Amino acid sequence: MIQLQNISKIFPNGVRALNNVSLTIDPGDFVFLVGPSGAGKSTFLRMLFREDVPTEGKIYVDGKEISAMPESRVPYLRRNLGIVLQDFQLLKRRTVAENVAFGLRVIGASSSVISNRVQEALEQVGLSHKRRMFPTELSGGEQQRVCIARAIVNNPLILITDEPTGNLDPMISQEIMQLFLEINARGTTVIMATHNHNLVNKLRRRVVALVDGQIIKDEPCGTYAYE
Amino acid sequence: MSLANFSFYLNEAIINLRRSGFTAFVTLSTIAISLIMMGAFLLATMNMESFLQHMQAEALVTIYLKPEVSITDAKTLKLRLTGLEEIEDIELVTPEQAARELFSSPDDQQLLQIGITEDSNPLPTTLRLKLKSGMKLKPLLTKLNNEPEIDNVSYGEDLFRQFQGLSDLLWITSLIIVLALGLASLFIVYNTVRLTLFMRREEILIMKLVGATNWFVRGPFMVEGFIQGTFGSLIAILFLFASYKFILAKLTLLTPFFATDIGIDQFFKLSVKLFMMGTILGISGSLLSLRDISRFSKSTPEGV
Repeated sequence: MIQLQNISKIFPNGVRALNNVSLTIDPGDFVFLVGPSGAGKSTFLRMLFREDVPTEGKIYVDGKEISAMPESRVPYLRRNLGIVLQDFQLLKRRTVAENVAFGLRVIGASSSVISNRVQEALEQVGLSHKRRMFPTELSGGEQQRVCIARAIVNNPLILITDEPTGNLDPMISQEIMQLFLEINARGTTVIMATHNHNLVNKLRRRVVALVDGQIIKDEPCGTYAYE
Repeated sequence: MSLANFSFYLNEAIINLRRSGFTAFVTLSTIAISLIMMGAFLLATMNMESFLQHMQAEALVTIYLKPEVSITDAKTLKLRLTGLEEIEDIELVTPEQAARELFSSPDDQQLLQIGITEDSNPLPTTLRLKLKSGMKLKPLLTKLNNEPEIDNVSYGEDLFRQFQGLSDLLWITSLIIVLALGLASLFIVYNTVRLTLFMRREEILIMKLVGATNWFVRGPFMVEGFIQGTFGSLIAILFLFASYKFILAKLTLLTPFFATDIGIDQFFKLSVKLFMMGTILGISGSLLSLRDISRFSKSTPEGV
């Protein structure tokens, strides 16, 4: 599903965020990406949805080399990906349903398709009763669930998420994690960067640890510890 | 572009115009004021042209034929010139008629006294032309120059040259002003759209994250530009129409000799031009601002 071959990323200011990283992620995998701040986790994820390009190496997603993909094809790549970031990134002046529908509107889906898929996605995250509310009227956990609904409304092959529980309390974090597990159980590959060692240790999924831009650990049923 | 996309753009554009009320107002006013100024100059030039044409139409062109041209040849030439599209009326004046016109109470005796007889009349045979309304003098003069029988053409050259010079100057000035104002308003539209882009960069980021193409992101901004350009030009056209009617009425009252035939059809043509200019200004201003839309869609700056 995802293959990284000798990926290095050096920023214009000289910072080497990733150093010769190679990794393969199979379809349906659930991968935790752990490591200290500045280890290169976010850069790693940003490359998967082509927000950044590697300085060296190749990245394949669903068989296509995305590192050399022309800019004009990037939107079509992203339509097969779900992206959830730490800061909820919702449009505050739009309702929950409109926010979720946004992902379908931009690909020109018809109103009936939008209506059905939004309903399904909101039911999956348990927010169909709040579809007419605005993000500011929701709790942090609920806002993140709206983001997840928006990310899965297109039935993506891969869900990329960067610190999705970073702004949430432990209880809500567990609820959000449960959602990701359910999405993964339906066949979606999930890659999650996190600092939440409790969740990582509890779930015992594949753990990839990045330190100073290099993979120092890749365990199939790993724990958070990377020192 | 699908219908669903267009209705999305339109809806977004209307929401955003409402939301960014003041910036939208500034853009719209800039376009309207620029177009009013452009239109005013174009109107002044058109009026000058029309006035010049009136003068030309009223003018009598006198053609002096060469001494060796006989009356029969002059009559043939008259017949030939009658076929020209610019000419409304043509009159042949023989040397005798010309000599008689020279004196207020002419008789043969007086003509004899100054040495004009049937055999020795120094006055040339002439043709007097009257131009059709709306016809220009210059093309006619070119045609007349090709006639071998013609010695000289008189049409009040100095006055015409002065007016023609003034008219040319007005056209050049109008062109420069239209270009300068066009560029200035393009710059203002560019900057206001740029400002809106900064205010809405989070929205653009989300659009890009969920797979919107650059053209899809640009869509609502372009529709916004189109709406602002359209409304700006409509305001300008209405203002110009009202003030033109008012000024023309005053001018005709003050200077009765002032004649112009800028009718509703020509005003309509000018309105179409202004409308197109406004629309192009709005859309191109937006397009210019949006050419590097990718810069507004990075989730975090590079190198962080």
